[in-house]
Amino acid sequence: MASKRRPTGTPANLSAPASASASASRSKAEERRTKRLAAAEQARRELAARQRRSRLMGVGAIIAAVVVVLAIVVAVGLMHNQEGAKTTAASDDVISGVTSIPAETFDKVGAGSIKTLPNPITADPLTANGKPRIVYVGAEYCPFCAAERWSLVAALGRFGSFSGLGQTASTPKDVFPDTPTLSFHGSSYTSDYISFTGYETQDTNGNPLDTLSADDEALFEKYNAPPYVGTSDTAGSIPFIAMFGSYASQGASYSPDLFKGKTHAEVAEAMQDPSTDIAKNVDAMANFFSAIICKATDGQPGNVCTSSGVQAAAAKLPTS
Amino acid sequence: MTVVPRPLVWASFVIAIAGLLDAVYLAYEHASGSNSFACPETGHINCAKVTTSTYSELQGIPVAYLGLAFFVVLVVVMSPWAWASRSPAVRWGRVALVTGGLVFTIYLVWAELYRLDAICVYCTGVHVAVFLLFVVTLLAEATRVDEDTSAPASLHS
Repeated sequence: MASKRRPTGTPANLSAPASASASASRSKAEERRTKRLAAAEQARRELAARQRRSRLMGVGAIIAAVVVVLAIVVAVGLMHNQEGAKTTAASDDVISGVTSIPAETFDKVGAGSIKTLPNPITADPLTANGKPRIVYVGAEYCPFCAAERWSLVAALGRFGSFSGLGQTASTPKDVFPDTPTLSFHGSSYTSDYISFTGYETQDTNGNPLDTLSADDEALFEKYNAPPYVGTSDTAGSIPFIAMFGSYASQGASYSPDLFKGKTHAEVAEAMQDPSTDIAKNVDAMANFFSAIICKATDGQPGNVCTSSGVQAAAAKLPTS
Repeated sequence: MTVVPRPLVWASFVIAIAGLLDAVYLAYEHASGSNSFACPETGHINCAKVTTSTYSELQGIPVAYLGLAFFVVLVVVMSPWAWASRSPAVRWGRVALVTGGLVFTIYLVWAELYRLDAICVYCTGVHVAVFLLFVVTLLAEATRVDEDTSAPASLHS
């Protein structure tokens, strides 16, 4: 046992055989230490590999869970079909409320605070049956069409009468969802002064409704773009209104936000009251439409065209 | 020192740059887009409907600009230099970023499919980039190798 002990003396005190024995002993010890270190290193590597495999499995589970969540969201979303409002016949109260706004209300509102006005254009006269003609192109799903219709119906009601107007709301899936409005689909308009054609190309859910005649399609393509209205980005957008070959407009004249949370009856009621924001915008725009119509009818009927509200709007109408 | 597999490092960097380019385009479109009160063309693939919707802003801040800022930060943290960092703040910050981005992406996909019924292809490109970065980041962290412990013992001092 003593010969295996590690020598403690200095090399000078050792004889030659003792020195060789000590060297062999040191070599063996070094070898054992190297083996121990290698084994420890191997164990560390195996542990690290196990930990890495474990981490990868954990990450794989997380990624798989995210993929499943995304797949469910997308799959259910693609099958999801949120239906919009059904179009029904407009109630008599709503129609009479919109088409029989007191003259005093129109006069008090005047030009209101409308900033976006129809553009004056130079085009071939637009007529039907010898009368100056207005063409409206919109769609029931469109919130901006929903907003603009209230003014158009109010203005046209001063020159004639509608039958078969519908009431509906814009799509719940776009900006200003469920904006209450009227619909021209299936309606007819009679007037001693002008002719009106209203196209609703799609219903609230995007299903096709009215198809434009070839002439009106050509009119829409040509004049619903610069230099007549809008920009190159908005060419073909709706609502589009062509009036007599002298004015055209694209888009709403005010925000559909005005009608947020309102029922059709509440909108019609607000249009009777010149102090409401709805009247200040909707009735004022009706005055502008009326002023344009009065230009085409040579000031007929006089009670409408000479009213202070229409005159105030006419004074602010842009001219070419 | 810890090392992330180089293919994952470069994959994350390239994806982040691609996402940044897409985000730049969307921000430009948002800035130059029309504010008219008009309905654009219809259909399920309809970027204008998505990028002008009420979901295109968060607390008054355009989502397009938020996305742009997000990808600028992502390009930095997905760069090879950032991956070489041992700082826990960088590593956990990167994981937090892609996780938060993925959650917001799921919200935007939900808005497109469930509220707007329209899909913006360019937005989808950004969403895919965020998802891929989430996957690559987690894989990179899981496969990260500690060079100090895996190196041969003879190389230790």
